[in-house]
Amino acid sequence: MSMLATEEKLSVTGDRSTPETRIEDGGRRLGLMLTLPAQLLVLFIAVFPLLMQLYISLTDWSPLDGIGWWQAYELWNNFANYTDLAADSRFWDALGRTALVMAICVPAEFLLGLGLAILFMDNFVGKRLFYSVMLIPMMVVPAVAGYMFFMLFQSGGPVNDIVSTLIGRPFALAWLSSPGTALIAVMIADIWQWTPLMFLILLAGLVGVPEDQMRAATLLGASWSQRFRTIVMPKMKTIIIIALSIRVIENFKIFDTLYIMTGGGPGVATETISVYIYKVTQQDLIWGYVAAIALVILIALSILVSLAISRMNAAKEA
Amino acid sequence: MTAIHLENLVKRFGAFTALKTMDLEIRDGEFMALLGPSGCGKSTTMNMIAGMEQPSGGRITFDGRDMNGVAMGRRGVGFVFQNYAIFTHMNVYDNLAYGLKVRGTSASETDRRVKAMADFLQLTPMLDKPSAKLSVNILQRLAIGRSAIVEPAIFLLDEPLSNVDAAFRAVMRTELKHLQRQFRQTMVYVTHDQLEAMTMADRIAVMDHGVLQQVGTPLEVYNDPVNLFVADFIGSPGMNLLKGTLADSDRGLVIDLGALGVTAPLDPALSAVARTNGVREVVYGFRPERVVLATAGQGLAMPVTFIERIGARTVVHFGDGEQRVKAVFDNDIAVQTGETVHVAVEPRFARMFDAATGVAIREV
Amino acid sequence: MNRSLTFEIFRYTAILLALAVTLIPTLWMASMAFKPIAEWSAAGADLTWWPKSPTLDNFRFIFGTSTSDLIVALDRTAGKPILASLLSAVFGTLIAMTAGTAGAYGLSRFGSGQNLPLALIQLRLFPPMAVMIPVMIMWAFFGLVDTWWGLALIYGIVTLPFAFWLMKTFFDDMPREIEDAALVEGCSRLRVFMKITLPMMRPALASSALFVFILNWSDYLIALLLTTREWVTIPVYMASLSSSMTGQLYGAKAALGLIAAVPPVIMGIAIQKHLVRGLTFGALKQ
Repeated sequence: MSMLATEEKLSVTGDRSTPETRIEDGGRRLGLMLTLPAQLLVLFIAVFPLLMQLYISLTDWSPLDGIGWWQAYELWNNFANYTDLAADSRFWDALGRTALVMAICVPAEFLLGLGLAILFMDNFVGKRLFYSVMLIPMMVVPAVAGYMFFMLFQSGGPVNDIVSTLIGRPFALAWLSSPGTALIAVMIADIWQWTPLMFLILLAGLVGVPEDQMRAATLLGASWSQRFRTIVMPKMKTIIIIALSIRVIENFKIFDTLYIMTGGGPGVATETISVYIYKVTQQDLIWGYVAAIALVILIALSILVSLAISRMNAAKEA
Repeated sequence: MTAIHLENLVKRFGAFTALKTMDLEIRDGEFMALLGPSGCGKSTTMNMIAGMEQPSGGRITFDGRDMNGVAMGRRGVGFVFQNYAIFTHMNVYDNLAYGLKVRGTSASETDRRVKAMADFLQLTPMLDKPSAKLSVNILQRLAIGRSAIVEPAIFLLDEPLSNVDAAFRAVMRTELKHLQRQFRQTMVYVTHDQLEAMTMADRIAVMDHGVLQQVGTPLEVYNDPVNLFVADFIGSPGMNLLKGTLADSDRGLVIDLGALGVTAPLDPALSAVARTNGVREVVYGFRPERVVLATAGQGLAMPVTFIERIGARTVVHFGDGEQRVKAVFDNDIAVQTGETVHVAVEPRFARMFDAATGVAIREV
Repeated sequence: MNRSLTFEIFRYTAILLALAVTLIPTLWMASMAFKPIAEWSAAGADLTWWPKSPTLDNFRFIFGTSTSDLIVALDRTAGKPILASLLSAVFGTLIAMTAGTAGAYGLSRFGSGQNLPLALIQLRLFPPMAVMIPVMIMWAFFGLVDTWWGLALIYGIVTLPFAFWLMKTFFDDMPREIEDAALVEGCSRLRVFMKITLPMMRPALASSALFVFILNWSDYLIALLLTTREWVTIPVYMASLSSSMTGQLYGAKAALGLIAAVPPVIMGIAIQKHLVRGLTFGALKQ
């Protein structure tokens, strides 16, 4: 049985949690006390670091300069980091690559996950076992998954072996060292790992569609595809938005699997935004510049997210 | 408008038989109630008529057309679910229009018929309202309208009033009966509530343990139950049933009820049937409201154990153990707990059942 | 409903295909973990799917007791990285669960901290890469770099949103009558929370903790940035496992990968029914 908590709310506002009952002072004090650790951790990781990030991003500071970060004002550079960023084609390429990976992986994961979820809607022999096995990829440590696919895509590895068997002649593509195929291999790994998540969430949504309403639609003469379009999909709308949002957000961060498989290479062929920032941080060590990149991304994401949330709220009002 | 014919209908779920060879003819335009306690097979029967479940044996015909293998969307059956199964993500208009839209009816035709239906059901003011927050009587009307708009040959209603609170049921019953009169559709109504069946149905099919017990008009079923189950199940309180033995007296055939005494002589016709039948051990049955006070020395002498005053009427409980009797009187009845009174039942209201088989002994 | 045979055939074909795709990568790694060096890397023609002569050498090798026919010995064994992963994930989970449970209860019962839900969602939203510069500076300042406790602290913060949201939905679902009854009996609010609510929530706490543990155990990027040598975790250590003489140490890495992959898979299957709730921040319950 699945219980949908979605039709009426997308709980990001926390408004539902205000208890109706009057809370005496003792309760209020305890409430403050209990929420204090979480508040402090948020402050510790969000507010102060962001100010620091803003400050450093306006300078040329690097940990190799031998001066403390608080003295970074000595290296003030007149917003050069931001103007440089606008002209940094490697950054924009990485951003574009990240968008490309997202544009292919997320819809693929969605469609595969939805297809599988539809197959799991009613009961059949072996359902429970298949369901558990289907979830394994998303629980494998991403770095380990990266290593699995690193092995699979070696030129003498199993993928080429299977392809050879299928086409009936030797096939020895060096997937990870050719710029064209490395990105494909990386995307296959991402789809392998995260289709189960879509499957899991969408299946929970599908079994939550009231059976009576489906039967009512059938009795009114609706075909399977009509029921799917007019009953299932509208009722799944919120769930689909949640599932897609989760994957879009996570996919944007793509790093672990990809970095283990290709290290961003060959060259910059698989360099996504996280890999790019990592390389600048670890290899080039120009942290003032990294701070600027990070801040731009944070601000852009914040704007996107608040737009998305306000649009969703507006849709909920209507 | 369609007659439904169930012939030797059987439904088994694994080793469990939910329905044992049911034969039932539901006439064109009739309001038939399938009545029985839960687990009696009434919902299974209805689900098979709708095509949601396949019979294990026998067949269902609509106007002589065999429905076996006809998909549920193509039977022309309107179904009103227990919880109405309104499409909560659509407004009232879209709910009403659904059946027409999926059949590819033109937009203008759909609009015309939706508006006509809304008008007919007094739903016009709420056409644009989201259906999730409507009150229950509006949901009922909407559910019926949504099914009716595609002009189904028959209507099936699955305990539509069971989620409604008691006070409102009377309103809903009236409305439902009214709608049925207007639609003149064949309706099959499943319920465990005899009041609903008695007040709305043209005929009632009483079921128990997967077996059809009796089919008849509400009055037939009430007055002349064919067996002890129906006698006990129908009526509130149910029929009084006392075990006794047939005995001859100088005034004719009577039933000896042991300690309670002897009944008044049976109706001559009934006596004749009983004599030809040859049964001795019987169950004597009579409705509580047919009990009248008799003068001392006549009728059955019974101690009053409990008096239940329910406003307009007073229910008096007599006796205990196997020989309990309930009687319904006007509220000014002058009896007191503990006293022994004499009660009698007019012979024409007395019923008799074979104690061994539970089957009614009556003129055929 | 009687679905057609064709549909059933299609269903099983599709599911079996999906199962094969799901399992092959994992099985390949598992098989590799038990292969002797001779079977590690082979040309496409004589690729071995199952170890012909299965061996535990790879496991012995990473724990330093065998060289697995390699000329090299490891300069450090897998023992410490496994310990680092365990300590940081366990204590990170502890931090997240403590702050998350307390905060969730405070919000769910007393309406305190109305800003937390959204703040925590945002925290989860941003790529860790985009906030790591200040974190690295701060951790260096406090001497937390390359320590398991420094890692545990950042894990605790990063997974706090999950702990908080999961526990919030569990508290929201919990009937309050029992707590109210205890309050009427004269227990203090804090005592009710400690003695009644928490024991009642034990299954929920366990599932949430396992979920958070899986997330912490799965980290690679943060450990890559915040550890250098002493306390590197399994994934970081694994990536460093290659030698100039032998190239990729396939079998050794696979053995380590298997060790890293098994616990979260088992835990994940154990908490299956709460996975949806955890992954969707409680927006969807199953």
